[in-house]
Order: sequence, then C-alpha cells, then structure tokens
Amino acid sequence: MSEQNNSASDRVVLNVDNLRIHYATPQGDVIAVSDINFKLYEGETLGLVGESGCGKSTTAYGILQLVQPPGYIVHGSIEVEGTEVLDLTEEELRKFRWTGLSLIPQGAMNSLNPTMRVKNQIIDVIESHEGKANYEPFGERLKAFLRKLRLPRRKEKEPLRKYLGELRQNLVLLLRYEPLKERIFDLFQQVGLPNRIYNMYPHELSGGMKQRVCIAMGVALHPTVVIADEATSALDVVVQRIVAQTLVEVKDEIGVSLIVIGHDMGLLAQIVDRIAVMYAGKMVEIAPVENVYANPLHPYTQLLIDSIPSIKERKPLKITEGITHDPRNPPSGCIFRLRCPFAWEHCALEEPSQIIVEEKHEVACHLFDEQFEKRRSDAFATIANS
Amino acid sequence: MPSPLLQIRDATKIYSSGGFLGSGKKSVVALDNFNMTIAESPATITTIAGESGSGKTTLANLVLGFIKLSSGNIIFDGEDITDMSDEQLKEYRRNVQAVFQDPFGVYNPFYRIDHVFDLVNKHFSLSDNQSEYRDMVEAGLNVVGLYGEDVLRKYPHQLSGGQRQRIMMARAYMIKPRLIVADEPVSMVDASLRASILDAMLRLRDDHNISFLYITHDLSTAYQIGDQIYMLYQGTTAERGSAMDVIDAPQHPYVQLLIDSVPVPDPTDKWDVNISLPSEEEMRTAASKGCRYYPRCPHRMDKCLVEQPPLFKMDKPGHEAACYLYEERDIAPIEPPMLVNRPITEAAIVAVSNRNRERLVAAALIVIAFFVGVLIASIREPEVIVETVVEEVVVTATAIPPTEPPTATPLLTATPESQVIVPAFVVEPEGASDKGVITWGVDTVEEIEDADDRHSYTFAGFEGATVRLKLITGGRGLSGTGFYAPLATIFDPDGVIVFAFDRSRRSHSGELTFPVDGAYQIVIGADERGRGVEVYTITIEGDMPEPTPMPTLVPPAFIVELEGAVDKGLIVLGEDAVNEIENAGDRHIYSIEGIAGTTINVKLITGGRGLSGTGFFAPLMTIYDPNGEIVFYFDRARRSNSGSFTFAMTGAYQIVIGPDERGRGVEAYTITFADA
Repeated sequence: MSEQNNSASDRVVLNVDNLRIHYATPQGDVIAVSDINFKLYEGETLGLVGESGCGKSTTAYGILQLVQPPGYIVHGSIEVEGTEVLDLTEEELRKFRWTGLSLIPQGAMNSLNPTMRVKNQIIDVIESHEGKANYEPFGERLKAFLRKLRLPRRKEKEPLRKYLGELRQNLVLLLRYEPLKERIFDLFQQVGLPNRIYNMYPHELSGGMKQRVCIAMGVALHPTVVIADEATSALDVVVQRIVAQTLVEVKDEIGVSLIVIGHDMGLLAQIVDRIAVMYAGKMVEIAPVENVYANPLHPYTQLLIDSIPSIKERKPLKITEGITHDPRNPPSGCIFRLRCPFAWEHCALEEPSQIIVEEKHEVACHLFDEQFEKRRSDAFATIANS
Repeated sequence: MPSPLLQIRDATKIYSSGGFLGSGKKSVVALDNFNMTIAESPATITTIAGESGSGKTTLANLVLGFIKLSSGNIIFDGEDITDMSDEQLKEYRRNVQAVFQDPFGVYNPFYRIDHVFDLVNKHFSLSDNQSEYRDMVEAGLNVVGLYGEDVLRKYPHQLSGGQRQRIMMARAYMIKPRLIVADEPVSMVDASLRASILDAMLRLRDDHNISFLYITHDLSTAYQIGDQIYMLYQGTTAERGSAMDVIDAPQHPYVQLLIDSVPVPDPTDKWDVNISLPSEEEMRTAASKGCRYYPRCPHRMDKCLVEQPPLFKMDKPGHEAACYLYEERDIAPIEPPMLVNRPITEAAIVAVSNRNRERLVAAALIVIAFFVGVLIASIREPEVIVETVVEEVVVTATAIPPTEPPTATPLLTATPESQVIVPAFVVEPEGASDKGVITWGVDTVEEIEDADDRHSYTFAGFEGATVRLKLITGGRGLSGTGFYAPLATIFDPDGVIVFAFDRSRRSHSGELTFPVDGAYQIVIGADERGRGVEVYTITIEGDMPEPTPMPTLVPPAFIVELEGAVDKGLIVLGEDAVNEIENAGDRHIYSIEGIAGTTINVKLITGGRGLSGTGFFAPLMTIYDPNGEIVFYFDRARRSNSGSFTFAMTGAYQIVIGPDERGRGVEAYTITFADA
C-alpha cells in the first residue's frame, strides 16, 4: 500500500456546502441529508461512514444529481473544480457524469447490463461522452485495406501462409473495427482484469471481476471525483481486499479523488485518508483517519469505533440501539442527544456547529466549544476511568 | 458416552446439471466428506466459515432438511434424519429451527409482527390459552431484548433490521429448539446493530441451552461469540478447532490468508502486501483428488496433488488442520456415528463411504479402548465406596438446620469417615471482604473488587451428593477491556481440580458431584495474563430441607444510608409498586416484610435517558435478607427484568437500588412486587 498522505494535496476538488436533501412522504418530509459541509482534496480518499439510513448514499447521489423522486435537493452547493453541479442543465449534466464525477454503484454486480458484452458496456460509456469521432469512415478503411492487398513475393519463406495471415488480420480490421480495444485493454490492465473477458457477458464473470469492470468503467474517462458506494460490501474478505487494493492503486495511478462509502470501519481504516462520520443526516465528525481511530472526538464516533468487532481480542458485546427519533421530526438541538452519554440541557437548546479542532479535523459537538471546556474534561475523565 | 446432539458423517453433496442420460453431465461437489459433531451439552455456538461457494449454505440447507445428501449421514440425537418417520421429522423440525440472512424477505409486509407468532402457535400448537400464549410471546421477546408492546402491533417496515432479526430469534426460541441454524444472521444488518443479535444468541446459549450452527463469512463475529469453528474451503474442512485458537493462530495456509485479509480497524496497521488470485482456469482445474487449495497455495508440494490431506492434530486440543505441512503429526480420528439402539452397527458403517473406512475402524478401536477403560474404572470404583458409609452421610446432612451459621465443620464432624476438614492446600486469601465459608443450600458470594485480587472460599462437600454451581461475572473489568472470566476452579480436599468454569463465557453453570467428604475450595483469581474480574457471583445450590419459619419479624441487620426524601420506604407484600424518576446518582432503599416460605414475583423496569444506547447498564439492584445476605439481584445488562424468589426466613428484607460501581445509575424505574 502506498503512503497515502503523500498523495493528497491542499487543492480542493469537491466542495459540498450546506447540502440538504429531503424525501417527500405524505406524513411530511424525511430529512435524509441535513445541511452538510465538506471538502474533498485532490488525490485524497475520503471515507463516508454511518449506519444504514444515515444519509451516506443519499449524499453521494445528491452530489451526482441522481436523487430520484420523492427525493429532492432542498438547497446547497456542490462545486467540482469550480463548476457548480446544481446549475448544470440536463444535457451538461449527462456530459459531466463519468468525466467530472463518476459512481461505482452499490452491488455493482447487478448494475451491469446482463444482455451486453463487457466490451460494449465500456464502449458505451466512452462513446456516449467522446462520440464516435474516432471511427474512421468505412470508405477510408476500405481504401487502406485495398492498399495493403498485395500479392505474395516469392523470396519470403512460407509466402502464402504469411500472406493469408495478413489478409485475415486486415479483413478483421475492416469488418470488425474496434478502435477502443487497446484502450479497454489498458483499462483492464489497470484494474487487474484479464483481456479474455473483453468478449464475455457479465454472468460469465465472478463477483470480484464484475466489481472491477465497474471500477474500470468508473475511471475510464479520468473523472475528477470517483464515488464508490459500498463497492466491496458483497464480497468475501480475500476478494474484498483485492478489489479495495485495486481501487486505491487505480486512484493513485490516474490521480483521481475518491469517496468511499461504507460501514466496514476495518476496511476504511485500510484504504482512506480521511473519514467523515454521518449520523441521521448530519455530518458529526470529519477527520484524518489516524485521528478517528486513535482519538475519536464525537461521542457517536466513539461508539462506532467501540462497536467494531475484533479478531485480536475477545471482548463483551457493546449493544447499541438504532436511530431512535422520527426522521420527519428530529429532536431540537443536537441530533445525537437522545443517544449521547454526555448530553446535557444545552444540547437540546442549540444545534452544534462544526468546530475545527485542528487542520482538516472538524467535529459537531458542544463539548468541543471552548466555553464547555470543563464539561469536556469531566466527560472524558469518566471514559478514561472506565 | 453421551449421545451428541448433531453428528454429520462423511457428508457429500454433489449438484449435477445438464446432460442427457448421463452424457455430458456437469457436477459440482459442494460438500466433500464433511464431518462435524455438536455436543448435547453444554450448548455451543459452532461457526461454519468460508468464502462464497465453500459449501456453508449447502451445509445449512442439509441440516435443515431442505436438500438431501448425496452420501453420508446427518444424525440428530441418535437418529439419522434420512431414516426419520413423518412423526420424527416433525419433532426434528421443532428441535432444529432456522434464522435466515435476509431480515426483510422473511416477513410478509401486509401483516403485523404478531402474525409471525400466531403462525408459530398454529403450526406447533404451543398453547390454546390466549393469556398463556401472550406470556410466551412476551418471554420470547424479552430473551432477545425486546418488549411486546414496542413491536407486536407494528409492521415489519417500522422496525430496524436488527429488531427484525431478533424477532426471528424470539420466534425460534418460542418453539424451544435444541439447535438453531443461523445462516448469516448479521450480514445484512448494520454494524452498530449486530451486537444486539449476537447478544441474543449468547443469551439463548447460556441461559436456555440452545446450540447454534452459525454460518458466516465474518470472522470477527465468529471470534467474538463462537465456541467451535470449522473453516471450509471448497466443501472440505481446511481447519477446525476452538474459534479463538484457530483465529489467533491459524495453521492452514488458506486460513492464514483469510485471517490476514480481515481488515484491521487500525490505520497504522495496514496490509503490507498486495495479493492476487490465480486465473480461473487454474482455479477450475483445482485438483479433484488432491488438496483443493493447491492452485493458490504458497507452500504447495507434489504430494498435495496425490491425495486430499486428512485433518492433522495441532498443539491445542481439538485444533486440527488439513495440510501436509503438518504431516509428521497425528491424524485426528473421526468419531463413529452414534445411533440410538444401534451404536456402530454394520448398517452405519456401510453407509459411510469406503474412503474413510480405515480411519473409522481406527476410531472404533479407540472407542472400544475407551469402553474397556470405563469398565476397568467401574470395577475399581466399588472398592472405594466400601470404605465409606453413604447412608449415614445423607442422614446427617439433612438433619442440619439451614439457618445455622455457615461453617464447614458441623457438617463434617457428623461423618466419622471423613478426616479431612481443612483443605490440603491454601491459596493466599487477599481482600478483606472475602466471605470465607459458603454453605451449600443456596448460597451466593458476590464480590466487587479489584480485578487482580485472588479470592478463595471454602464449602463442605459430602461424597455422592450433587450441587449445582453457577458463576456470573460482570462489572467494569469486562466491558470493553478484554478482561476474561477468571480462573474459577474448585479443588477437592486433596487439592485436585474437580470443576472448572468455562472462561470464555460470562456466565456458566454446571453440576458437581462430590467424590469425597471434606472441605472444598473455590479459588477465583486473575488469569495467567493477570486479568481478572471486578464483579462476580457464585451460587451453589443443592437439595436442603424446607426452611423453618422464624417466629418473629426481625429488623434488617444493616441499613444502607438513605438518600432522597421521595423514597417510599416500606413496600407492602402482595401487590405494590415503586415508581421513581430521580437523578441517576441517587441511592434508594426500600424494605419489605418477608415471611419464610412465601414466594413473590419481582419485576424491575428501568428507563430514562441514562440507558438509551449509551452502554449504561441497569443499576445495582439487590435484595438483602435480614442478615444482610444478598438473596436476589437483577441482571444488569437488561432494561427489564423479572423473577421470583422465596423468602428463606421471616424478617425485613432490604431492597437497595443504587448507582453502579462507576457511579452510573438510572433516572426512572419501576419495581413491582406481586404474590406468586
């Protein structure tokens, strides 16, 4: 694995500002994503974690402008290298997907078209953006073919055989013209797929291979930001490891920025640079990965880190309940206060803002407000004691 | 030899497809000569782990009877399931229940949750009486940490995946099965909710003696709760043993790769090498005779292609790995099938494929040797018995009044044969609060101590008598710090270990029959890594005469300092409740008049902010008898608890509800007392 800190620069490629997404229901709107802010730096891998229903996938689909009704974006701003995604027209947006932003979807195995060969699906992605311009007209190709059509010379060894071989190759070039073949082979190489799958159908591939075909499609047009939504969740540990490593290698090779959505804290620790923790539509903490695991600040992050099952040490189970409030009608103040062990009156009064505790590390919790310094030290002393 | 609960012998399952009249038929061997035994008691969680296509789910489907074996036997409680009559099969289905992977697909979205339980009642006719049936449902839900009023009238979509999966556990529990086949029960549930399902499994195992066949590809959960583990690779057992032995020190190259690939939640400990899979051609031509892992194995040898390696014994007992790297070690024997009324008959042997016949014969010889050993031992035993007068011991034992001060000597002086009064060795007792001598009728030691203390207690035992022992550990030492249960061992008067508690569990119970008269010692101490527990309770229960009622009501021997003016004070026996909403740090105390021989039901429901999802436990809620001895306490890991107990003596009993040892308590609670 490469040293990931070296790969991330300070240039912001994606800036999500005050994004809010609702799902309309007859009983009122469900707040799926509630005013979240974050930045993604160039060459960085950002992990987005949280329990199901916390809005992590909705955030991803919001960034890609793929939120399906009854979902809708209430307000916010999504800038990718200076382009405001929310201002794009449908046509511009279609162009922008895959080139500016691309998605490796959840359960990639089911997102390939089962009736199309792998090559055609990748060609489809490339051609729908770059057009068929790189196709030479048939007339030109016929001329080239005729030019090459020459009689065998006597001096050569095995003249007829060689001649027939060349003729066949030229005929293939004429009739089964595949200008993107080399490019697709390069893509396969990048994601570690064998060339023979070029002509195969998705059902002939294993789960890990299908996942890698999706990665190949995701990076085919060198987008600025790739979002991998639970890209490895359905795979076995060994295959998961291979796919995750492929993802990071490809990212380093072509220099994209990556958002990895997942709930496996172990896997994220292995591949990401920073982690954003979401709870009930809010981003509660965003921090460099080393900080999150060594010193989680937000009480929810602490809970999340505590509940990772270990294979190094057998420990009692830490039982937690799911989201306890109605998502249509969130509690006042801090969203986590109903489950928070440190909550006090102030948490119900005011919603915590994102407090910058150090560079690239933000946390939304009143405990880190300077005026509650004393309460924080008391709260953390109880943890230290236990 | 006791009959095992479930035995799988040389199970092979071949799926065939295509072909006409046997030509061009393709077949896939999903399970290849697989062997497994699940013991009847104590209940265990047996994990079957492996990658997709390793045969895990095939195994689950075979045990559940959804598909039939190609060859081999599955023997449940001494009966081969393929030979079962319809009647026996119905009983089998009652005994073996299933919990499936998808907590969304198993519910009919049009019905409320109670429909699930109604169907169970209909099919298994659990109870005709509505109120009795409702109590059963409530009890089932309580076992998995849910409450009827919260879930029964809801629709499936209103519950979380974790709740739905726990309801499936409750449903299975209501039928009182002996084995639950859980096929990936947590893989579709959120990581933060998985613990609740695993906890429900542990409770069913420890408190209700239900074994699990836990099928998973998630090794970390297997490590947390599994007792035994079988690592499958392409239908064969690559490695097996206790979950902790196998995962701590994997021996088979495949298992080593698998465990190395489990992502470690520590960004400073990253995968150091990139791995790759061999091409499919290579995988597909995976030796049909030899080791299945050959194409991927870094240690492969020519020998591996010749024959599939048998399981070799590793250092730890029960730990076995199928790899020729360990060729010089002994081959693990395979237990012969144990059928009721026809142990190892010819029929059973014929059913076993020829391939394992030699191993089977070897195993049979071992079994015969064992029986011979037992026979010799049983011949020798009467010689010992002759020397002691058993009847006399029993008579004198029943004559001892239970209210007598707890000392070992009065019991033992009555038995003339017994010369051993003091233990043969003494472990240094530390900590002033040690109880010293325990009477075995029903007696309990509860300690809240530093984790590294060592405690020693003594109690009297008479030859041939049997007591039931229970150890419950808890407290801070265990939450999240990796503390294990302590070495809790019982030594006989000669210093020989006669009973040891299972250290991997938080609670354990068992029976002990005393081999000789004398003073038995219980030693509870830190384990070999210096880790101990802070809180534990040992209970020793045996048959004792009815308690003699005491003539007058005596006040409690001690009083815990009373805080908070709103305390109710005295509770009236019969039907009374205390309902408090207070600061979490308060300590409350109530008294109740106990009359010897009366049984009451007690129920505690706790609530309030302090408990929701923060890992806060219920408080220390304890009932003391008039002498200040603890007679009852609630399970602190639950939000609601109910139980009943019988007053052993007449007098004022104290109920103390207070913050736990970390100063954490509850804000709201209700205690209800009712006549049984």
